[in-house]
Amino acid sequence: MNLSRPDRSPRLDALAAAYALGTLAAAPRRRLAGLGQRDPAVAAAIREWEWRLAVLAETVPAITPPPRVWEGIQNRLGHSKVGDANRRFSAGTGWWGSLSLWRGLAVAGFALAFALAITTLPPGERPLESVVVVLAGPDAKPALVATAERGSRFLTVKAVAPLAIARDRSLELWMLPNGKPPVSLGLVPATGIDRVALRSAVGITLQDIPTLAVSLEPAGGSPTGAPTGPVLYTGSVERTY
Amino acid sequence: MADPNPDRSALLADLLARTALADQRAFTELYRLTAPHLYGVAVRILRESALAEDILQEAFVSVWRHAGSYNITKAKPQTWLTSIVRNRCLDRLRLREPDTVTMTRDENEAEMEFPGPGPTPVEMLLAGAEARSVRDCVDGLEGGQKQAIALAFFQGLSHAELAEHLHQPLGTVKSWVRRGLERLKKCLEGTGLAR
Repeated sequence: MNLSRPDRSPRLDALAAAYALGTLAAAPRRRLAGLGQRDPAVAAAIREWEWRLAVLAETVPAITPPPRVWEGIQNRLGHSKVGDANRRFSAGTGWWGSLSLWRGLAVAGFALAFALAITTLPPGERPLESVVVVLAGPDAKPALVATAERGSRFLTVKAVAPLAIARDRSLELWMLPNGKPPVSLGLVPATGIDRVALRSAVGITLQDIPTLAVSLEPAGGSPTGAPTGPVLYTGSVERTY
Repeated sequence: MADPNPDRSALLADLLARTALADQRAFTELYRLTAPHLYGVAVRILRESALAEDILQEAFVSVWRHAGSYNITKAKPQTWLTSIVRNRCLDRLRLREPDTVTMTRDENEAEMEFPGPGPTPVEMLLAGAEARSVRDCVDGLEGGQKQAIALAFFQGLSHAELAEHLHQPLGTVKSWVRRGLERLKKCLEGTGLAR
């Protein structure tokens, strides 16, 4: 490496600094990142500033992440033994069977009405949601509505009305793939609105998922990775794209 | 310049090296030792724990796959990991914003190719630096510069958001940020922490 090279242009250095600090808006941020992929000098300028500034972060207080983060990492890398959840499922513990009894209830009707309500809005007010799931209990009354754009990495989940859940219980959202064990999407709110992060875009994550379900779990979610409590609500995944 | 915590850096570097060799136990230990700090950084910037969890997962998946590209002569392990997490946080913050912010001339110039000296060698800048000295440099900034840089760094605010937050024209905050960063760099170089 030639260490006697003259300094890079001040403009590049300033842009790299703003990139690393994070103040660039989306478009210039993307452009500079793209430039960095083609031009090693740009990449080096960015990296130097990232490292220079990263030291400031040493003072940020640590927070212990919830255990599901590590579980998610292991799942994504194929490190964990996923056999447990599979065995649970094939043993047929009962809750799943009851699901089909009320899966076909008027839930789809609500979802379609909801989707229709969206598409009849004036264009300016029309949200971009392209997946709609109305989750309802055995009484077919909508309890939660999950919506997302196809390319989004989030489901927005809204409790239609506050749900009466014991303080030491949590609501957990599951994907129910055909013929496979349920896959947790995380906890959902009993009141108000929250977002559930997905591992990939909605269109991909929910591609072969006909149904979502919400089960009642101990606070913090199922300890086993599979639903342990009763299924309270289900809804079919309606696509508006 | 002495590493304030050489034992920890050496341990993390060792864990990263073993992670590069697909040692799952080393990777587990690396996560145990570094995830709380990295999660704290992500929560701070994103202000949303679900999003921060997602970023932390992505970052560690990436660390498992790219641990081999870590080079201890260029950055301390903690610095390297932090920059991976911060970068992903910033991408996530920016990319979910609508592209409606009016761009000023110098940002548009990011489109241009940069004339000049060609590839510059990546120097070790802060490997072994003491955060203490960096903070002294930050303390030496003028009020507006310090505030703008701190808000941007710790809360992930963009130029436009800084302008709104600080009730200043966009041009003013951009100049605060630019001059503050220049000064920070000079100060760091003066302390011998950088080239």
